[in-house]
Amino acid sequence: MVEPTNQTMPQETHLLEELEAGSPSFSALVQQLTQIVGKTGILYDADELLVYECDGYIVDKTAPDIVVFPTSTAQISAIVELCNQFNVPFLARGAGTSLSGGCLPIGGGVMIVLTKMKKILEINLRDRYAIVEPGMVNLHLTNALKGTGYHYAPDPSSQGSCTIGGNIATNSGGPHTLKYGVTTNHVLGLEAVLPDGSIIELGGPTAEVPGYDMHGLYVGNEGTFGICTKAIVRLTRDPESHRTMLAIFQTIADATRAISAIIAAGIIPSALEMMDQGIIQAVEEAFHFGFPLDAGAVLLIEVDGLEIALDEEVRQILEICDSCNVREIQRADTPEERLLVWKSRKQAFGAIGRLSPSYCTQDGVVPRTRLPEILEFIEETSKKYGLRIVNVFHAGDGNVHPILLFDERDQAQIQKVLDASEEILEKCLELGGSVTGEHGIGVEKINFMSRIFNKTDLATMETVRNIFNPRQICSRDKVLPPHQTDEKPGISQSHPARRAPH
Amino acid sequence: MSPTHSGSLEEFIPASQTELSRFMTENATTDQKQIFPVGGRTSLSVCCPSSQSGTQICTSQLNRVIDYPIRDMTITVEAGMRLDQLNEIISAEGQRLPIDVSQSNRATLGGVIATNTCGPRRFSYGTIRDYVIGISAIDGRGNLFKSGGRVVKNVAGYDLGKMLVGSLGTLAVISQVSLNLRPKPETMCMVWFAFDSYQNVDRALEALITSGTRPTAVEYCNSKAARQIVAESRFELPADHHAICVCYEGPENQVNWQANQIKEEWKEFSPLSSQIVQADHATRLYNAFTEYQTSSDDPVTLKAVVLPSQMMKFVEAATQLNIAVKAHAADGIVFGHLPDSASSLEDVKQILSQLKNKLDPKTGYLTIYQCESEWAELLPLFCSPPPGWDLMKQLKNALDPDQLLNSQRFADLVET
Repeated sequence: MVEPTNQTMPQETHLLEELEAGSPSFSALVQQLTQIVGKTGILYDADELLVYECDGYIVDKTAPDIVVFPTSTAQISAIVELCNQFNVPFLARGAGTSLSGGCLPIGGGVMIVLTKMKKILEINLRDRYAIVEPGMVNLHLTNALKGTGYHYAPDPSSQGSCTIGGNIATNSGGPHTLKYGVTTNHVLGLEAVLPDGSIIELGGPTAEVPGYDMHGLYVGNEGTFGICTKAIVRLTRDPESHRTMLAIFQTIADATRAISAIIAAGIIPSALEMMDQGIIQAVEEAFHFGFPLDAGAVLLIEVDGLEIALDEEVRQILEICDSCNVREIQRADTPEERLLVWKSRKQAFGAIGRLSPSYCTQDGVVPRTRLPEILEFIEETSKKYGLRIVNVFHAGDGNVHPILLFDERDQAQIQKVLDASEEILEKCLELGGSVTGEHGIGVEKINFMSRIFNKTDLATMETVRNIFNPRQICSRDKVLPPHQTDEKPGISQSHPARRAPH
Repeated sequence: MSPTHSGSLEEFIPASQTELSRFMTENATTDQKQIFPVGGRTSLSVCCPSSQSGTQICTSQLNRVIDYPIRDMTITVEAGMRLDQLNEIISAEGQRLPIDVSQSNRATLGGVIATNTCGPRRFSYGTIRDYVIGISAIDGRGNLFKSGGRVVKNVAGYDLGKMLVGSLGTLAVISQVSLNLRPKPETMCMVWFAFDSYQNVDRALEALITSGTRPTAVEYCNSKAARQIVAESRFELPADHHAICVCYEGPENQVNWQANQIKEEWKEFSPLSSQIVQADHATRLYNAFTEYQTSSDDPVTLKAVVLPSQMMKFVEAATQLNIAVKAHAADGIVFGHLPDSASSLEDVKQILSQLKNKLDPKTGYLTIYQCESEWAELLPLFCSPPPGWDLMKQLKNALDPDQLLNSQRFADLVET
């Protein structure tokens, strides 16, 4: 293998201007941005900017210099052109629920907040698509579809606040991805403002378009390919019925055996989520479901489909759980019971506040059959560092979310959390997995990129990034690690994240 | 391995991905010959016109299983693996890749990705883009790169696999693929409906939106195509009118219930007849639908992508031009074999132009799907530039700066 020859020159990000409040260029930029978005669409007082200094990843904080709230694609294009003219970095932000620092404005600059662009532009059931603005909250689309027999399938746990534009940037998952896939499987096309201000359309409302799958390439770019200003998403038929159950196991090993056996039997549950003893105790304290506090693991299993088929699937699942030493199965067959069970899962993170003043949520993936190994490793790591770690995660996908509990006032604990996280993610890679299943690389995991990919892989990714964003003026220093020759270091990690609504 | 000669084209059969990478690096730094990636040669006439000179990279020996953790339901294989070979391996474990590929005894996985091949099941299972979880490929300068991985959920880095879907060998030679697999369903059945009018067909298709059933595939054919499909399936079915064939998969009781349910639901659209096709007959009929798009001896097969709600208007126009039409009806994807009467290039261009006028330029695409080789280089494959065409050209230039990968085809892709 030769050294990559398609590697481009190191990007001259240092040439981007750093804005200084009160300077002539700052005042000129503010004035011209105000002409675009109006006085109510811009913030630049230091106090008001504090809200935007981080997202769900609170380790690193950098406030933007200016925040704007555009209401149209044309405004975004004009804002981006201005940023180019003034040579200042910019990036988009939706609801700011990223857990990897995707919305961190490295180098300051202009933050383009899309929350005012939240309209549904079209719903077309016959052709199974919807066109929405990027600031639309994920759940609001599904709510708008209620009664039509259709829904928008990707449902991250933060779906009550996260936006579709943000979901596209990070290729978000959620508990139902096992059967229905992640965001990229549901995006048919999009409109975007490229980092030079030009407006492009990729894909479209049809089932496919000729040529390279450009919208597929665009999804998951973490904001580095410009700003998605319109999304065309596929609508999914509602299942006729659900069966939801909680299977309570004595040990994690029994629960993971049941997971593999269910899928091996040809059943693809719509969700297969695991909670370990630590999280069960926290959830029980918060919501009083009646979980036994001494259980080793609880599986939330949901199957959906035609009413006629479900009872047989449930029978098979019960039989499999039995053969894996299940202790007890609780059924949640009424819509109210189902809602309550899902509340326990989706709000599990809220319950963690009862256990610890701070916590750090990790996001690793292993092949499904390696779950016992990674969970055992997490337990060992917990003992090794004297840190409490609880687990609530998408077991069917092998996507673990170990939650490390600590007190951020104790510097020694913070270092332990960072070291333990690193070891766990390293183990995920060793087991054939990945360091992120759905939260993204962002700034948090940028140092892992060169462990997952070799120089050629990264150079090719950079070549592709440079087509969209050659000067890195848009969402700089994300996803791809800085060149080794580049003297400017990336963001270095100093504190772990503690909050993670996923 | 030394190159062997085959006509004006040389052939190179790499024994490994690194050998291929070395070969392409050397080619880029010395001869700079055109490179044509070749899998099962099932789409060669359109993808790589025969008058070209250069080197065909034949992936037939890149056909090994790299890793098959059965219970994880993922598999990593080299891209030259033929679909039948893949299906045999995974079928033994009760698993499948739910992508329908015609001529699957020859077609390779890399070719399926490069041509974005799909079939009837795409309605419920999606296309190859939804199953590729990791990919390796070699760009025009010989750089072997990868993206993704071997786990079903992974957002580390850009998804370069997507950009290679539909790339027709113009961006990189796909060398290795990791796939997400699905369990094989217990059984399958089809319901064949005959209708006497476009209007009733359209009403029935529209009613599928709220049907109590969940079809895995919905295929339409006009009478000309219906006769050929019925003949191929060797099962007696009415083929003198429009036909819609709805397919169900799953446990037997569920499949049977749905087949009877759809017959009941569609009574209000006055089908001339409806018939449930099961067991081996269903398999043969299904295969006839899958193979149809490549089965013609006719000189040109076109593919149109339209919104499902606009489809029957297009089908009507095509039928009036004596085209044999089959469609993935719920997805708006139409295949048409042009009639024998279209015997000159001028005739073909005339037909294409008439059909293009029937399309909404914002939501309709007409492409050449199969074509006699000598016409292939005279016909742009895409009758209009697709969205993002400028970015596609930039991508091509970035990954293949010396224009070595099937570059004439790319240059002639779009009518100018």
